[in-house]
Amino acid sequence: MEILLIGLLMISGLTLGALGSALFNVPRVVGYILAGMLFAPDFLGGLLGAATTEWTRPVVAVTLGVIAYLIGGAVTASQLRQLGWTIVTATLGKVSGSFVAVLVGFTLLGTTVADVPGWTFTLLLAAIATTTAPAAIVAIIHQYRARGPLTTALLGMVALDDMLALVIFSLVLAAIDSAGFTSAIPAVIWEIIAAIGFGAAGAYAIERAARYLPEQELKLVALLGGIILLTGLAETWHFSPLLAAMTLGFSVRMFAGAHSEPLFRPLEQLQEVVFVLFFTLAGLHFAPAVVLSHAGLIVLYFLLRAGGQIIGAMVGARLAGAPRVISHNVGLIMLPQGGVAIGMALMLTSVPSLGDSALLIVNIVTATTLLTETLGAMATRFGLARAGELSQSAEASEKSKEAT
Amino acid sequence: MKTSEWLKIHPVKALTVASECSLQDAARLLLDDPEGRDLFVLNAEGQVCGHLGFWHVATLLLAELRPTLSLRELVERITLGTVADHMDDQVMCASVDEDVGDILYQHDLFQQHVERRVEDIPVVDEQRRLLGVIRLSDLLRDAINTAPRVPDE
Repeated sequence: MEILLIGLLMISGLTLGALGSALFNVPRVVGYILAGMLFAPDFLGGLLGAATTEWTRPVVAVTLGVIAYLIGGAVTASQLRQLGWTIVTATLGKVSGSFVAVLVGFTLLGTTVADVPGWTFTLLLAAIATTTAPAAIVAIIHQYRARGPLTTALLGMVALDDMLALVIFSLVLAAIDSAGFTSAIPAVIWEIIAAIGFGAAGAYAIERAARYLPEQELKLVALLGGIILLTGLAETWHFSPLLAAMTLGFSVRMFAGAHSEPLFRPLEQLQEVVFVLFFTLAGLHFAPAVVLSHAGLIVLYFLLRAGGQIIGAMVGARLAGAPRVISHNVGLIMLPQGGVAIGMALMLTSVPSLGDSALLIVNIVTATTLLTETLGAMATRFGLARAGELSQSAEASEKSKEAT
Repeated sequence: MKTSEWLKIHPVKALTVASECSLQDAARLLLDDPEGRDLFVLNAEGQVCGHLGFWHVATLLLAELRPTLSLRELVERITLGTVADHMDDQVMCASVDEDVGDILYQHDLFQQHVERRVEDIPVVDEQRRLLGVIRLSDLLRDAINTAPRVPDE
């Protein structure tokens, strides 16, 4: 029955996403989430006999591993040097700003939820708040043919910030799994060292093996097999699967050098499939009662994340001496939150100690994703227009389309 | 037929570039030769050390026209770098004593074309110095001309 449900989720997600985008100009993500909601256990999913969503855990673990691999392989050490200080410090500022704002805001307001200590809940939300949705931002850059220093900084930042977000999320997850502060430190050290060690060793093996696998199809088998194996090992030996997959991506890129494209392209082509799965599965967990009873928390998370990243990115960019056009716009432009945040939230449903709090986090993140994919897209366009980086002809053509 | 003989019958100008050149310079070289689709990168000793195809150069320099880009391509778009940063350093070269008829099998040119859009096979000497290239279009032309004709009914 689960296989039938996955098929229905993907086809209905695709249909609603494409129709919503073509007829109402809303991001496809909205359609994906709505399709998931339709098949929630309380609605059509119940009729299909899918009363629980536990079966989604291995799917989420593996698909998030694929995304972590691609994020790890996004940038090489030499590209990092070329990107320059403005992009690096603005990204650090944006990530730390959103993390600290959510952490401090929720702590000061004394937010408590059932099942888990308040700090666990707050730390997890703060870690998820650091992510961005590159696809939504790149779509707007392309639609309005934006170009200029802000656009360049933005392209670098969206590639870097999910990398930092994954590191923070993995560390937070390792820390909350431990029984106390003293046991958290060795646990976190083991999570990091083992993940880096296994990820790097796996990358070496995959890169060497790929030399004897000329066909793309065989490389895809090696890559997916490697990621699934690493995720399984991480589960068995208790190290971070996300850090391991990210190290795998980074190291494969390093070992393969300029010949790395065939080791990323096959999985990049699967990325949209992964995101359709994430968003529809998030919709599947969507509980209207939970959202309505925690509406205040959702609004608070949205505002703290937005405020924190706008101020953080501004401070980070100013520290590197970036011009005003970058420092005053870059945090605002990066409001959209998407697949990686949803994937992280879904991953929490497999942490037994979190209980119902995981479901609450999934609902908060899903609801704010709907907000940020619509309002955030407008903010991205506004910021780029304020910086004077939108193409005049593209803007005029969009306005005439809206008028007709 | 040996590759050395083939090169005499089908003399093709191989396009070469230094690894420290910019991508814009590489694009100019390719555009100057209407039939050129492959650039071979030579090191200081004149040995073949990499390959860069027209399609690869075009996708890098025209990245902003593409509606979707992976994270990897986003970073590439703003850190273009030099030819060395993008060239494929695993170039499959033919030697002078190879049989031309075996080249398509031994070098799996079609798979290379799928992955890297390679159309020219470089022919090198023992020191890996470039002697010339065997063009896919010439191989195709030759195959058509030498294939036995089906008799008319």
